[in-house]
Amino acid sequence: MFSATATAAALESTAATLATLGQMIVPVLLALAASTALAAIVPTLRRWLPTALGLLVGALALGEAAFVWFHLRLWQLCQVVDPATGQVTGSFAVPLWIESEKLYVWAFILAVIALVVRRQRAELQPALAVTAAALTIGALLWSRPFAEPLPSFLGGYQGYLAAWASGDPGAMMGAFQSMEGSRRFFYNTWYMWVHPPLLFISYGAFVASFAATVLMIMRRHSSYEQTAYRWARFGYLPLTFGMLIGFPWAIMAWQGESWWWSGKVNMSIMMWVLYTAYLHARLYLRHKGMWRVVAALAVLSFVALVLTYITTYVVPGAHSVV
Amino acid sequence: MTDPMTAKTASGWDRLLMMVTVVLLGALGTQSLLGTLYAWWAYRVDPLWERHAGYAAFIDTMNLIAAPLVVALVVVMGLCVPKRLVAKRTLVVLSAGMLVVGVLGGAATGSLAVGLAVYLALSALIQVAVVVLTVAGAGGLAYLSENRLAKVGSGLLHLGFILFALVIVALQRSPLMLPVFYASAIMLTGGSALSFYARESVRRMQPAGAPAVAEGNTTRPGDDV
Repeated sequence: MFSATATAAALESTAATLATLGQMIVPVLLALAASTALAAIVPTLRRWLPTALGLLVGALALGEAAFVWFHLRLWQLCQVVDPATGQVTGSFAVPLWIESEKLYVWAFILAVIALVVRRQRAELQPALAVTAAALTIGALLWSRPFAEPLPSFLGGYQGYLAAWASGDPGAMMGAFQSMEGSRRFFYNTWYMWVHPPLLFISYGAFVASFAATVLMIMRRHSSYEQTAYRWARFGYLPLTFGMLIGFPWAIMAWQGESWWWSGKVNMSIMMWVLYTAYLHARLYLRHKGMWRVVAALAVLSFVALVLTYITTYVVPGAHSVV
Repeated sequence: MTDPMTAKTASGWDRLLMMVTVVLLGALGTQSLLGTLYAWWAYRVDPLWERHAGYAAFIDTMNLIAAPLVVALVVVMGLCVPKRLVAKRTLVVLSAGMLVVGVLGGAATGSLAVGLAVYLALSALIQVAVVVLTVAGAGGLAYLSENRLAKVGSGLLHLGFILFALVIVALQRSPLMLPVFYASAIMLTGGSALSFYARESVRRMQPAGAPAVAEGNTTRPGDDV
């Protein structure tokens, strides 16, 4: 039998346990991120970088395991009940890369890429490690995924529980329709489990590509360019597929809403066409002066990536969190 | 878009097509950036902007700017990949003919979307023919490389792009939308993967002393750029 009061209490207790876990994990992560950045920046400490990076990846994985547990508890606790029939319509399978956990996942993926990078490892690894460390610190201090987990989802579900507890049939039905809609068309869609991680993998690969491009511009040697190309082509595949699979979902889920040419869609298109232009122009790299065009496109593409990410927080619209 | 296989001996025509492709992609990117800046400004002026007529006018303008750019991209694709099959002049005439048929289709129905759909459907048919002939190893294909997989990948990604444009223009409310869309997504991604990696895998499998396979990446490790 569904009890709004008991569910609210269990949710509060679960969130408190995650916060307690966070109190142990966050200081360790911050210390490891700072150590990794230090080992990457200070040449005399560079030999410790693989160790620091490995420990950072391990700690990030531990944090991710805590999130997996938290999401499993949400699956068990957060049910939606139809007030008209009293039947449970389903539970929430909240994806592991939304809201306050988004930046954390990106940091985790980038830290793994920094750890496994092979070509030009000595030069690329420090650059990637510093970026991963900065993202980790940003994710922990700005997004606060342990202390303030999934604020939008939990806020919405607590509102649903409050409506249920009020006993007002109109409020219960309104809250049910809202939560059931978001459960079926957002949180539980296969698309939400595939689209964001594909994009984060591509973003991680593009960071590596950009770092190699900067090295190429500084040192004027084609081996860096080859590395930049390898990471860009690796990132281009999940980017293309990840963006494309959003299309039919958006048509169905955002019917009647203004999403086409919205800020995030616009910027994603810009990023994709620029990476396409870069990979295409690169076919003619041996032509005189062409490397400058290729380098410019590679840099522009990465700038577009950063702007695309920022757009989510700056320009309102269907994808936005403004 | 030009095919990587010809990179080493790219003629002026090939290079021109490549530059036009890059310029068109750049124009689409610029349009997207300007569209975002405009939307950002519009939201600041009026947070409920999406509910007013100005938003519909914005969408129409964006579509109006993007449509010729996408058509131009498809025209360049039409001139590029099939040039391995037929003479350049024939291709130019064929592309012009398809454009005329598209314009006539649009004029006859009074709908820009129908004209675009007709043109895209014809382009898709040409690309299907290119892919089939490539898979069959048609004798007329004048690629530098014998790596058929990479050639098929190039053809598939072009076909995927055209099909995706067709879905946006003509199939959004059709029962064919999802199957055609997924076909286009698989072709675009799979075709890109084949283009990127097939050449490399063949090069790795080649015995020592065998003639090198031309690759999209035309620099050699150690080259100063």
